[in-house]
Amino acid sequence: MSALANAQDEAETREDIRAYLTEGLKTEVFPRADTHERVLEVTARLRPAAGDLRAKLVIGGFTLHAVEAGEIEQSCETCMYFLVHRRFCELPELALPVEPEWSCRLWRI
Amino acid sequence: MANLLWLQGGACSGNTMSFLNAEEPSACDLVTDFGINILWHPSLGLELGENLQKMLKALTSGALPLDIFVFEGTVVNAPNGTGEWNRFAGRPMRDWVTDLCKVANFVVAIGDCATWGGIPATAPNPSDSQGLQFLKRSHGGYLGKDFKSKAGLPVINVPGCPAHPDWITQIVVAVATGRGGDLALDEFQRPKTFFTSFTQTGCTRNMHFAYKVSATEFGQRKGCLFYDLGCRGPMTHSPCNRILWNRQSSKTRAGMPCLGCTEPEFPFFDLAPGTVFKTQTVMGVPKDMPAGVDKTGYIKLTAAAKAASPRWAEQDIFVV
Repeated sequence: MSALANAQDEAETREDIRAYLTEGLKTEVFPRADTHERVLEVTARLRPAAGDLRAKLVIGGFTLHAVEAGEIEQSCETCMYFLVHRRFCELPELALPVEPEWSCRLWRI
Repeated sequence: MANLLWLQGGACSGNTMSFLNAEEPSACDLVTDFGINILWHPSLGLELGENLQKMLKALTSGALPLDIFVFEGTVVNAPNGTGEWNRFAGRPMRDWVTDLCKVANFVVAIGDCATWGGIPATAPNPSDSQGLQFLKRSHGGYLGKDFKSKAGLPVINVPGCPAHPDWITQIVVAVATGRGGDLALDEFQRPKTFFTSFTQTGCTRNMHFAYKVSATEFGQRKGCLFYDLGCRGPMTHSPCNRILWNRQSSKTRAGMPCLGCTEPEFPFFDLAPGTVFKTQTVMGVPKDMPAGVDKTGYIKLTAAAKAASPRWAEQDIFVV
């Protein structure tokens, strides 16, 4: 797939995510994956959901705004897995186009 | 001519293999160029049985001078403090260690097991293993914290799993050529010349560390191994990226996270499932920070570096 086609594809997926969450898709925002064990638990649940966008959003606890936890504002923008220029989450279990102000419970820095 | 004796306690022979692969100088150079007389070594020694016992007794009695005593592996104390699980030349190895350390001018511990216990001393430590002068971070070990060899130095610790071949031979040469007293040791009795900088010093992934781009899977050439894959390079004291392995590479250059094997806590987290090759986090922040960095500073630095990262940092610049 060319870079342009890939970017278009990602833009469409980004809009799908925005639509799902705007329409009220309930996601597991809490508890945050605040321990290593919790991270393993959430990523283990995500693996079988690789091709299911809605399941990924629910299990990952996606929101369209930054969530504060542990006195840290956990936005995609500051997350280790966020590719700034591509606006993409490269955590293998998610691998989703995102926006800087979004958030999920697998945030880490 | 300096007499060197090398014995092995609770060990896998990894440091022996490393020693035999040394290049600068090589094990042969020690003999031919630096006047070191290798009395006995597990892979090179010729004496067996009674002849070996006779030689060891000549050393412990002082009839044969012992300039350098090199010990590889842990001191095994099980069962019940007798050391009988590791017998050598007719008696527990720990008893030989006690007697040989009394007569040696210099005592050198090679590898993690001899320095701080390493893998054999990992909980629950069934062999009741100790390093020569440390047990993990606790000073003391088998010989006690006040031990000094005849030359007035504590045990010289050359850790690693294994120690790099040239760290071993260069320290042995320094001692054998009368420069042992010039060795500056750190708080864990490691020669500062090797163990002041970090594994990260010279790492080819440093630009990805700077721009906070993480390697998320093994085999990726792009990305830093610290953020997700448990690399301990930023907090491990070793010259692994300055004195390269096989003269050409290192763990991190080959895409393998540093395990921190020159630090007393190795293996970290007692090898609990899920802790190896995975960065441990609390509320999304690494549990172990790069040396000298606090949590607040780390968060600020990471956010700023991430925001400023150039486009190329996200791409695999090694594939064209």
